[in-house]
Amino acid sequence: MRSGAHGRRIAVRRLRPLLLAGMGCALALAAAQGGAPAETQGQSAAVPGVRGPGLSLEAVPEGLDADVLARRADDNMRSASTYFHGRMTVESPRLATPRSITFESWEDRGGKRSFVRILAPPRDAGTGFLKLGSNLWMYIPRVERTMRVPPSMMLQSWMGSDFTNDDLVRESSEVEDYDHRLLGVDPSVEEAPGRRAYVLAYVPHEDAAVVWGRIIAWIDAETLAPLRQEFYDEDGEKLRVLRFTDHRRVGTRTVPFLWTLTPLDKPGHRTAIEVLEIRFDVELDESIFTRRHLERSDRDG
Amino acid sequence: MGETRLAWRNVWRSPRRTALTVAATVFAVFLVVVFVAMTRGVHEKMIEDSVRLSSGHVLVTAPGYLQKRTLDEFLVLDDAAVHTLDTLPEVVGWAPRVVSFVLLSRDVTSRGVAVMGVDPARESTVTTLSTRVVDGHFIRGGSPHEIVIGERLAERLGASVGDQLLLYGVAYTLETAYDLYTVVGLLRLPDARLERSMAIVSLADLQEFLVFGDRISEIAVLAESSERTGALRDALRRGLAMLDSRPVFHTWREVMPDLEQLIVLDDLGFYVMVAILITVVGFGILNTILMAVLERQRELGVMLAVGLRPAAVFRIVFLESLMLAAVGLVFGLVLAVPTALWFEAHPIHVGGTMAATFEFVGMEPVIVFRLTSSTLWKSSLLILAVAAVAALYPALKASRANPVDALRTI
Repeated sequence: MRSGAHGRRIAVRRLRPLLLAGMGCALALAAAQGGAPAETQGQSAAVPGVRGPGLSLEAVPEGLDADVLARRADDNMRSASTYFHGRMTVESPRLATPRSITFESWEDRGGKRSFVRILAPPRDAGTGFLKLGSNLWMYIPRVERTMRVPPSMMLQSWMGSDFTNDDLVRESSEVEDYDHRLLGVDPSVEEAPGRRAYVLAYVPHEDAAVVWGRIIAWIDAETLAPLRQEFYDEDGEKLRVLRFTDHRRVGTRTVPFLWTLTPLDKPGHRTAIEVLEIRFDVELDESIFTRRHLERSDRDG
Repeated sequence: MGETRLAWRNVWRSPRRTALTVAATVFAVFLVVVFVAMTRGVHEKMIEDSVRLSSGHVLVTAPGYLQKRTLDEFLVLDDAAVHTLDTLPEVVGWAPRVVSFVLLSRDVTSRGVAVMGVDPARESTVTTLSTRVVDGHFIRGGSPHEIVIGERLAERLGASVGDQLLLYGVAYTLETAYDLYTVVGLLRLPDARLERSMAIVSLADLQEFLVFGDRISEIAVLAESSERTGALRDALRRGLAMLDSRPVFHTWREVMPDLEQLIVLDDLGFYVMVAILITVVGFGILNTILMAVLERQRELGVMLAVGLRPAAVFRIVFLESLMLAAVGLVFGLVLAVPTALWFEAHPIHVGGTMAATFEFVGMEPVIVFRLTSSTLWKSSLLILAVAAVAALYPALKASRANPVDALRTI
């Protein structure tokens, strides 16, 4: 049974928010509404559409709805307007020392707009990304050029990291392309020993133009903070794992301050994002989400 | 020899029947030879066109490159490898390249393309890319920051010769890479898809852009002809075994599996047609010879009665069949060879929807013929073999005739 359209509004957005929004919508993955109601199944069952050993899960308490859970998890990581300041560290066998990039971002959740400004390293400082709906614009101050990133480049690396441009801009409406199911309760999550986590599966609708075949998300049962997300292709092969650690209290929310992405097909590669600052429900100036702001080479918010 | 003369006379005893059978054989031989020549010609042209647009007959890469195509899979050419490639007799031409996915933009418009860094002098020994520039000129060697792009790509970007394009990508060092390049030429290619996504800069420029050092992504190697592909690969395998990066050697079949499949599929249809033609000819010959044998029961009986050995009778009838086929074969070849040769010299240029079909699979809309001696002797052998098989039954029947019974008939 699918919940109505009202439930779908908040969709899951994978990691995009990370970068762009700075916060979480993606994290939350949460949301794709529209899922089947929570099913109480448990025990070491194989997850449909996913290869590998099944998960050893406990049954879900009665009365929990996957929709609601997903939406609340999403709300925990995102607000109507969010400011984010973070440092991304890229590790690769190609590099003697990890490469690090700091950036700030602003997200207007309802307007589906976000803005990212690179602060360091000096070579990239001032580079900006403006997302308006499904369009992504990039500005490079060194050559004073703005360009629109075409759909064909969406799966390419973002700033040399293991995140893709797609992670940055995945349109929020695409969240509606996922159904989600509550698989069970994981009594011991590696990322947060001693914590219990709800395990949610995100399944794209048949006709959805999405990158992943499945996403499995672990969400802290108490705080609803994200703990881990695993991304699978259409054959059920696990392609990457995103771990959330260093959970801290921010106002009424519990937010992970370290996100680590490990691509499984690229041995030795790893990208981590450390949260340096995160603010929810901030004032956003209209002028932030404009081409003129994008093309300003000085970079104060 | 007596038997041969006898057989030859017998063939012409019923001129009309023989003529009809010969005509059928001529027709079949003609069709088989001309169609083999056409199919071979078209296939070879497809292979040559494709090979000379991209991979060469053999593509040398690091393991996993064909699947992943990232900068992680690279080769480094040392002096010894260069020397080997320059001196191997099987190598007609070779070209080192760097390939990377980048964003190419003019003003705000941008496209994701696979940009190829080439050494123009070496590249022209493998591909025809430098001759396909329709506006401007091909890139020069060294580090000129010049770029050549497909005409259709230029159209989409709204770029023309003289414009500056921004190349944006991720370097080997995982830094962002961006630089401005001047469009110096536009390429027109038979493959529209390729033309929409192709951009070429100099090898040195791209290596610098990607902070790639002296690494390369692939080496395209050209053989004398597609038939020499296997020999070329074996020679390269022996000659380049010492490279540190453990190169792998892909034939054009592996690099372009679509092309390979297209050819296999096409061949399959062709074989079915040949099989039908040959079967028809076989039955025609069987019918003619069997009728001739049945009509001549009495005569054969007399021959056996006066002491001719059954083996001799068998040989005579068998020879008749071969002669029938041989006559058809000769006339067939007399018609087919000049026809095929004429078309070989005058390729057919197709137009209309047919041309669109050709272009869709990345070919010039031209039907080329290619007649080889192997086609001729294989078709000849095939026809004679069919005639021989068809003759077995009538010849056996004739040689086993009982003289007494045979004399009584009719």
